[in-house]
Amino acid sequence: MRMMGLETEYGIAIEGCPVEDLLDSAMGLVRAYPGPHVALWDYGPESPRRDLRGFTAPVLAQDPADARYDRPDRPRTPAEVERSDRVLTNGARFYNDHGHPEYATPECRTVDDLVAHDRAGEGVVLTAANAYMTATGRSVHVYRNNTDFHGATYGCHESYLTRRCVPVAALVEGLTPYLVTRQIFCGAGKAGIEEGGAARPGYQMSQRADFVAVPLSVDTLYNRPLFNTRDEPHAAAAELVRLHVILGDANMSEWATAIKAGATSLALELVEQGWSPPVAPADLVVAVKAVSREIDLGPVGALSAAGQWSAVDVQRSYLDAAAKAFGGRDAGTDRVLCEWADVLDDLQSDLESAFDRVDWVAKRALMCQFADEEGLDLADPAMQSLDLAYHDLHPEHGLQVGLRQAGLVRRWVTEEAVTRALAAPPMDTRAAIRGHFVSRYADALVSVCWSGLGVRYRGHVERIDLGRLAQADLTRWSERLAQAADLDETMTIMSQLEGDADGRSRARRAAMQGESHAHPARR
Amino acid sequence: MHIRLEDRTPRPAPPTPQRKEEGEGPTRPDVKRPDNSDLLRRMRRVDPEAARRYRQRSGQ
Repeated sequence: MRMMGLETEYGIAIEGCPVEDLLDSAMGLVRAYPGPHVALWDYGPESPRRDLRGFTAPVLAQDPADARYDRPDRPRTPAEVERSDRVLTNGARFYNDHGHPEYATPECRTVDDLVAHDRAGEGVVLTAANAYMTATGRSVHVYRNNTDFHGATYGCHESYLTRRCVPVAALVEGLTPYLVTRQIFCGAGKAGIEEGGAARPGYQMSQRADFVAVPLSVDTLYNRPLFNTRDEPHAAAAELVRLHVILGDANMSEWATAIKAGATSLALELVEQGWSPPVAPADLVVAVKAVSREIDLGPVGALSAAGQWSAVDVQRSYLDAAAKAFGGRDAGTDRVLCEWADVLDDLQSDLESAFDRVDWVAKRALMCQFADEEGLDLADPAMQSLDLAYHDLHPEHGLQVGLRQAGLVRRWVTEEAVTRALAAPPMDTRAAIRGHFVSRYADALVSVCWSGLGVRYRGHVERIDLGRLAQADLTRWSERLAQAADLDETMTIMSQLEGDADGRSRARRAAMQGESHAHPARR
Repeated sequence: MHIRLEDRTPRPAPPTPQRKEEGEGPTRPDVKRPDNSDLLRRMRRVDPEAARRYRQRSGQ
């Protein structure tokens, strides 16, 4: 499978801490993380303003409403100090993103690894929160969600590596019907609807749909797009693009995280092969909100001109094509296809049977039960507090955590896999190299980023280029690194690996001159 | 356009993944008769004002 990653911004509520102090409190929480790490993030190679459509935005838009929480007397803190980046032994990045502890998984090549590392991220954030509580004496609640119900949203972003030869228009046309409708199985559920700065009661599948403002944009903080056009591959830019999906919800259900990533990767693979979906919503912004609010899963007019398509119908068109193209290829793909098919069948035939997998279904069922028991209306404001509690990671307070503990939700990985992922990187991606240096040669590191390392060796700094290793299966090399006796042997292995990568780059460039690597739209 | 189920291309049934035995890995829970009495207790402990007070900075 392709290289993938997840970045989750967590919500936090700290006793005695107003929203105006969250920038500093989140920084303190991240810095309280007691696990092994290095704090040497290199921002140099980052390029968030570069757009896939061939230009660089002069500036990224900021949410003007957020400025009301800025303290005029707060001293200006350099960005790298405020972010407090920690690079962990498992290859992950843990940092403060504008008042939110954020965990970016290491690069993964399988859905199983991605889910294990995403769940490990919950452990890292909770460990930091516990250390912060001990140090400050203030209670902390950590929420894996995307809304504060008062106009603010924060993201759970996905990254999928794809080939630059696929035209941007093909990506947009091929993927947007899928992205608009996948919330039926990976929506986290939201009590309330926010529109035009006002809120009203209601229930919808997605926490992010209300905040989609435009079809395409490079922005992520304001005027958020359905399809993000940021061109920042963190890899060989001439060959590769990182599809950056910012539309998705942060799922409490690890099953939902798995299918979200697995099905999105397969949908992308269909588009890479030139497949086109059967619908083209005229207004993507209207469509994503309409699907989110159609909780009976009936036809949604905004999905097609004729208005007879339901979100399940659209998803089935992708599933059918993916099963035909990729079914039987390998066990991981078959597992995703099987679970994707099952959930579409269940949503259509018996919605509540998806309680054990789909967050928005589970959350709604809990709310309905509580409303019945307590004689409340579903429009009661207390339902938003239940919504928030569903996402609380606290082992004694969180509602979805309680479902996990009771064995009422379907698991994707074992707890043993999650525990392993807390310390160990995936062995088949470049994250293994990053993690190896952090765990064994932290003192020699001078800089770290997604696409490279700076290592002080024999009196000067060696730059290790991880960008061109983005596509390689590095299992064999990771095993050799694990056996290396010292830094000398490690650097020798890295030199051999870079020589091997040079050879593969030459072979790939030669192959790209042939038509087999061209997208059908360009042939 | 009216979509009829029988109009669709038959969907190849992907191979069913082998389920592991109890105790060996992820299992499928019985969702028909869940005992969620603990969940009700948790829900009753939730501060009904929690969401009203909850404020975050706008993120990405």
